[in-house]
Amino acid sequence: MKICDKSKKLEPILKKLGILYLFFWDDNKLSQRKGVRIMNKRIISVLAILLVVSGSLFANGSPEVSFFTGKVETIDLMNDIINDFNAQDNGFTVSQEYQKDASNIIKVKFASGEVPDIMTTYEQAYVDQGKYLDLSDEAWWDRLVPSMRDNCTDIKTGNQYRVCTNMTMAGLFYNKDIYDELGLEPATTWDQFVKNLEVIKEKRPDVTPLFIPGKEAWSLGHWIEFVPHGYIKQTLGPIESKLAMLNNESDKLNFGDPNGAMAEFARKLVELQDKGLINSDVLTATADNRTEAFVSGKAAMFSDGMWALGGILAANPDMNIGFAPYPAYMPNSKPVVLSAEDSGYSISASSTNIEGAKKFLTFLFSADNMKKYSEALGSPSAFKDVDASWAPKGFRDEVKATLNSAANIGFTNEKPAGFSGDDAGRMVQDLFAGTYTPEEFAKAYQEAWDNGF
Amino acid sequence: MKKRIDGIQLMSIPAAMLYGIFFIFPLLQGIRLSFTDWDGMGKAAFVGLQNYIDFFSDSRALGDIKTTVLFAIGSAFLLNLVGLIYALIMKNKFKFQAFVRVVIYLPAIISPLIMGYIWYFLLQPGRGFIYRAAEFFNYQIAWNWMGQYSHTIIVLILVNVWQYAGMTMIIYLAGLKAIPNELYESAKIDGASTLQIFSKITMPLLIPSIRINVVTNIIGSLSVFDIIMSLTEGGPGYSTESLSIYIMRMCYGNKTGYSTAVAMILFLLILVPVLISFKLTKSRS
Repeated sequence: MKICDKSKKLEPILKKLGILYLFFWDDNKLSQRKGVRIMNKRIISVLAILLVVSGSLFANGSPEVSFFTGKVETIDLMNDIINDFNAQDNGFTVSQEYQKDASNIIKVKFASGEVPDIMTTYEQAYVDQGKYLDLSDEAWWDRLVPSMRDNCTDIKTGNQYRVCTNMTMAGLFYNKDIYDELGLEPATTWDQFVKNLEVIKEKRPDVTPLFIPGKEAWSLGHWIEFVPHGYIKQTLGPIESKLAMLNNESDKLNFGDPNGAMAEFARKLVELQDKGLINSDVLTATADNRTEAFVSGKAAMFSDGMWALGGILAANPDMNIGFAPYPAYMPNSKPVVLSAEDSGYSISASSTNIEGAKKFLTFLFSADNMKKYSEALGSPSAFKDVDASWAPKGFRDEVKATLNSAANIGFTNEKPAGFSGDDAGRMVQDLFAGTYTPEEFAKAYQEAWDNGF
Repeated sequence: MKKRIDGIQLMSIPAAMLYGIFFIFPLLQGIRLSFTDWDGMGKAAFVGLQNYIDFFSDSRALGDIKTTVLFAIGSAFLLNLVGLIYALIMKNKFKFQAFVRVVIYLPAIISPLIMGYIWYFLLQPGRGFIYRAAEFFNYQIAWNWMGQYSHTIIVLILVNVWQYAGMTMIIYLAGLKAIPNELYESAKIDGASTLQIFSKITMPLLIPSIRINVVTNIIGSLSVFDIIMSLTEGGPGYSTESLSIYIMRMCYGNKTGYSTAVAMILFLLILVPVLISFKLTKSRS
């Protein structure tokens, strides 16, 4: 009763706040009991209305196609392409969501059932759980470079659950001017590689011979991915190595062998550190520091993929950049270069607008859009009918020559879900910090890999 | 009267619902999941106490406990020491006192993530302003602080202390102002020295403030996440990884059930200082 009495003064104000008025007041000054009864009825009415409204919303479904990406470098470009698509009369619109930590956030989306229609994130574990739509019969494949279709093929089922738009390469970017000045040639063996770095250190003491941005664990993980994993891939072959990793065939992978590829790789890295051939701040340097040092001529070389090219050219468009493979570091092996699929697109198997998603991807994969995409990304297109100037001609020629001279390897998509490239990179941080000897490193890597399964 | 109580009870329903939905339900779900092998996507199978057993043989997790506890104890000690010194200085009036107090307190209202990045850019070996300044003046402190665990943990604690000492100071300042001036005056008349006044009057009467500060600092530091993520990302390797970061990484590393069990262990770990504080408060009252 007191509530009603006290509230008389507030009544005009609360009347304006419709929902409170609906709950507590009545124009005819009802008795308290009657008021409570009416209040209960109105609560039920409001809840019923909410139920009907929300039900109808869910029943109708969303006409929107949601696109989820973790690729920061394509946000603006994709917005332009999406705007062009939405300007057409498609009967639905496409919206883009970018998340920096996309590979983790997609997991939350899968768990909560809020799965986007199209996504750039791709994991073997999700393939195994049937999260992606089978795209094997789509017409897009006829336009793709055959090796890229192979790279997009799930080794277990033989189906394709993603379409890559680009090819990417990873290797050693070097400052051609410094190399020319010192009369150096890109190395094909590890001994030549070390010798080159020693010459740079001696003749150009103001230059860091090899810059490693070790604060970024992913960057160190790439060294493992391209060097010791690269050796395994070239010796076992692409299919055999994928199967060995997928089934954790330790006799073939041989990670823990104190004289094996992993221990030897660790020895080589420690040698570079001990000889002062890499940056002394390897554990705290970031990728930005690396780019800054390279474009300003304070670093002669670094390891990365084509995705780093855009940042370098943006900072110094006239830079004379060379590209070389990772030198052979084991007996009877060849230099290695990553030649892999990049920028893959998948459709969710649970999408409520599969046709809409396919229609948008068809629009995205048009030759015109793919040309823009390739030039913005700074990597060659995976589509045969796209002729893009994705890098200065001299650099494109260097990349072509490298691909022809070295063993081409792909990414390790078959690694255990519980042991990421980031985890591997953290182990290299420990190696640089002196926590492991090379032999201990190899043993620890084997254990971490096994535990990941 | 009865109807009035009904109305009040009705109004408490939204709050109770929010508490239930956002605290009780997730807690119960967490307890349930901690007994499963859920990977975050597929079906969860009941594994009993296996996750809890695995935790105690997980060298990385045990290392993280060591880091977390060391960070909490180091932070709590220094936060209280520095906060008390600040409060003793601030107790006396001086020019620009209000301004200085704001400057000391200001870092506490800035996101620890941002603060961590700022300190990273200041301290980064070879590049940071402080590193360069030390190098310029030829001081031998320009070491690579991320190269060794002992150096890195000290840097993390110091940044945490720098950020939150102002908050500790405010509580001590309130405690100091609550001490009657008459006590100090009579002690002075009796010929007590400054040290005697501090140890026999100030410290005993500050004990409630010390309790609050120590307990809240330990609880806050045990769940540390942001500062470590921005400064070291738990590195080099996993050497400065806290238990909170470990939980997040395990959760996203397809070990969601296990990470929930670790979260329960962290919950129990934080519960220890909370229960001690309850007990101390009870005995005090």
